[in-house]
Formats: sequence, C-alpha cells, structure tokens
Amino acid sequence: MFSSCEKKKEVVVTETRATTTRDQAPKLFATSDERFRDAKPSPVKGDTPEGWLSLPASQFRLLNYRFGESGMGEVWVSLANGTVLDNVNRWLGQFTATKLDSAGLEKLPPATIAGTTGKWVEAAGDYVGGMGAEPKPGFALAGVVTSINGQILTLKMVGPKAEVEAAKPVLETFAKSLRMAE
Amino acid sequence: MDDSETPTLPNAPRSLPGKIFDVLSGFGLATILLLLLGLLTWFATLEQIDNGLYPTLKKYFYWKSVFILPEYNGKMIPLPLLSGYWAGALLLLNLILGGVIRIRKGWKHAGNIISHLGIIFMLLGAGVAQHFSERGNMAVGEDEASNTAEDYFEYVVEIAEIKDGKSGPITVIRGKDIDDLSDGKTRQFRLPKYPFALEIGGYLKNAQPVGITERAPDRDQLKADGYYLMEKPDENNAEANTAGCYAKVIFSDGKKSDPFILAGASFHPFSLRLDDRIFTVDMRKRLWPMPFTVNLDKFTAEFHPGTMKPSKFVSEITRIEKGSEAKVIIQMNEPMRYEGLTFFQASYGPPGAAPGAKMYSVFEVVRNPADKWPEYSLYIVAFGMLVTFLTKLGSFLGAASRKKHRHV
Repeated sequence: MFSSCEKKKEVVVTETRATTTRDQAPKLFATSDERFRDAKPSPVKGDTPEGWLSLPASQFRLLNYRFGESGMGEVWVSLANGTVLDNVNRWLGQFTATKLDSAGLEKLPPATIAGTTGKWVEAAGDYVGGMGAEPKPGFALAGVVTSINGQILTLKMVGPKAEVEAAKPVLETFAKSLRMAE
Repeated sequence: MDDSETPTLPNAPRSLPGKIFDVLSGFGLATILLLLLGLLTWFATLEQIDNGLYPTLKKYFYWKSVFILPEYNGKMIPLPLLSGYWAGALLLLNLILGGVIRIRKGWKHAGNIISHLGIIFMLLGAGVAQHFSERGNMAVGEDEASNTAEDYFEYVVEIAEIKDGKSGPITVIRGKDIDDLSDGKTRQFRLPKYPFALEIGGYLKNAQPVGITERAPDRDQLKADGYYLMEKPDENNAEANTAGCYAKVIFSDGKKSDPFILAGASFHPFSLRLDDRIFTVDMRKRLWPMPFTVNLDKFTAEFHPGTMKPSKFVSEITRIEKGSEAKVIIQMNEPMRYEGLTFFQASYGPPGAAPGAKMYSVFEVVRNPADKWPEYSLYIVAFGMLVTFLTKLGSFLGAASRKKHRHV
C-alpha cells in the first residue's frame, strides 16, 4: 500500500556527533589487509617448504599455503578452541571417518610440533569442509593437533590423496620447524 | 441502565457517514481488532523462532508494514492479516469514537470513560515508542568507563578530519540514506565541512570483505585493492549482521577515486590525505553519545546452583556528569532511569568466563519518551474501574434504601 518515494540522488550531510570513548586514536593509512584482517604478526612462525606457495593469513589461518600440482592442496596453521580430541574428531568427521574416544586418541602416533608432542592424524575419502562446501571425492588429510600454552595448535593438510601422500614427509619437517613467537 | 438522552425516531434511515461512524465506533470492530491483535501476537511468537526476533517484529508491528502473511515452519500461510501497528491504530480510533464520543454520558458512565481514556493513553504510548524511541547497548568492562551506546542494527558511514592524531567532530551519513543502495544504485553525499564528497553504492546488509586470493569472486563482484564484499545470508540474530558498501571520493574538480570498501566488519577506517589534511571514512554501527559517563566499579553474576543459568546480574556503577558522581546499582528488573534514559541490565561477558576473570557488563540503553505511559495508563484504568465500582455500589445501596423506605 505504501510505495517508497524515489530517494534523492544527492544528499547534503549535516548530521554530526561528538567524539566518544569509543573513538580512540584511529590507525591511519591502514592497508586493506590491516583493515579487513587486522593483520598482526602471527603468533606462530615456520620455515616455508620449497614448492609451497605462501598465501596471506586469514581470520582462521595464521599460516596459509598451497601445495601440489593440482593447485587444490592446502596447508594451514590455526589456533583452535576446544580440546585435542574435539579437533581430531572434527577433522575425522569431515571425512565421515569413525570418531575416536580418549583411548583411541592415545593410540594415534605422536608428532613433534612447535617444540611439543602432538597427535598425528590421517584420513581419506570424500572431504566435506566447513561452511556448506560441496564434497570433494578422492581427498586425504594429514595433520597434527597439539595443546600448547593452554591453546590448541593445529597443522592441517588437505588435498588430492596422491598429493597428500607425497607431501607427508615435508609436512612432518614443517611441523618440527614451527615455533611460537615470543 | 438509563434511557438514552438523545431520543431517535424508530427506524430512521442512517446516513452513510452515520453508518461509517457506527462501524468505526462499534463493539464489533473492537472485538475483531482485539482478536486480530491476539492472532498476530501468536503468529509472531511462532515465526520469530525461525526468522529471528527483530525481523519478525518489523514484519508484524512496524508502521511501514500494512498487510502481512504469516509463516510457520518456513511455509507461508495464505491468510492476509492487517499488521499490528495498523490494527492498533484502528483500535485507537475505535476507542476514541466509541469509548469516548459515542458512549452514553453522565456521571454513571464516568468510570467507563476514564478507563477508556487510560487505554487510549496506552495505545498512544505504543505509537510514540515506535516513532520516537531509540535503543542501543553499552558494554563496559570492570574498572573501565564508557559514555557511548551503540545502536543494535543501524550501520552508518562516518567521516572525520584527523588533527594531532585525533578525530574532530564526526559527520554521520545515516543508515536510511545508504541501505537502499543495492542493485547498482548509487548516491552522492555532499559534505559541507570537507573538501570532497562521497559516492556510495553496492550496499549489502550482511557481508564480509574477502581477499580474492582467499576465495575467488563468484558473481563478478566489484574488487577493490585485492578484496571484495562477499554477501552472507541474514543472521537469525539481526544484531550480528555486518553491513558493507563501496565508496568513491569525489574531488573538488569532479574526478572520482578508485572504489574502496567500507565494512562494518573492518578493523580500521579508510584514510585519505588531501592538501596536508587527513581524513578518515569508516562504516560502523551508529554510536549514541550519552550525556554522562558510566564507570563499572564491580560486576557480579550469580547462577542457580549446579547450573549456568543466571539468577542475578548486578552492576555497581558510578555515574559521572560534569564533575559530580553518583553510585548506582543496576540489576535485572531494576534499571537506572536518568535524564530520559533507561539503562537495563541486559547481559555480560565474556561468555563462559571462569571465576575471577575480568568481566564486562552489557546494558540495554533506551530513550523512550513514553517509557512510563503504560504504567500511568494502568493507574488511569484502575481508577476508572474503581469509579465504576463505587458508582454501581452507590446506585445499588441507594436503590436498596429507597425500596426499604417504601415498605416501611
């Protein structure tokens, strides 16, 4: 019943407000990375393996890489919530693999990462990543989950099965090279 | 019941305006409207489970919504209903025409008229609240202070000049001037205090800036400095939406800059240097400066034993205004009312805070000129009913006394 009036093409703006406690000294001339990712130095550093393409960090990926000839292989390092078991099971769930209990977690092989010992995780099959992504058949996962300084550190590699298999030794070396920033 | 004071000829034909008046002032319309309001409340209660509270309130009770089709479990119910605002407006008219003008006059009906006036006052209060109230929230940490509330939903574009590293007075482009700028529409904004203007377009109600290397654009979205705005579905909790848009600076010679992104999800503003002057342009939820500062001295949260269900939140604050201080306690069901503002204890954080962790308190801040009108209307209605009761009692006792004397 009420049709909206055609709004003006040009508006003269006169409304103002006073500064408040919320208007701290703004960061001037921030780059787009800083504006949209608040790109602070990563709390985790690592030695980028040869042949891996380093990508900008994102909200959930502190270190972010591509590997493999297909261009579909991804590796990333994150700090996650929950427990080591929660995160292992979340990864297994993405491949519809059987989830583990505490006893099952203990049986996973150990892996050195960032000066600690974490758990090495592998899975293969149809990969269903988060956020409603389409399943990717013939994919595999390899990675490490550990608890360090009260946080959960994860190193995750996902890609076509053959490429992940070939890259596992490199992943292992990369995990050892990770270190928490001081 | 008294006879009507205005005798009418039996079977006298009623004029058209008269008939309209009879309908608009009649009991029938009042009954239908009250049933309709009940039905709307029921449907809205069910629909807000799926669609969220704020969008449902807007659909059912906002003045711009005239007819609505309810939804249940994601399916539309083919039952057009007059919206709550307009049902209430019609009820207000009905009460004025029937409950005050048409109703029989005389001292025996004074109580009814007073009660009707009380309900009219309450309906007027609802209209005033819808058109003139403001709401926002203020989060304050323990031992921290704030003098600002933030609107729940409205995103604005703010422009400021920076001098000595600090913002000067901030120019605000309101949400109503930008939230229609989707589907290729743009609008130019003249800024009298600044040596440039802005052109804004590509508005999205809920969006996230995404790097093109992180996720490639899939709908030919406009790119700006390696980023684009990725549209997201509306959040069920509408407060969690983060708006975004594209902007260009229009220089004094008419030339335009490359587009840049303004996003509610951004961490820092866009900066611009013109002739040794520095300006920032930013998008954020509308800030609402308060006339005083609130310092949170202590926050206490208590829970029902063995549960994480809160039983009590108590905020002990100091209200600071022009050098004077006042200690106030704000807790559930005991808000602070001061200078036309009401501070309700809304929630706290961080979520799942461990005992001993530093906490913050979140207040809902409301400026509603009709804040106390529902309370006053109840007093008026109650008084009217008391008058009606005493009138009836007096008539009954008087009649009983006259009857007794006749038999003596």
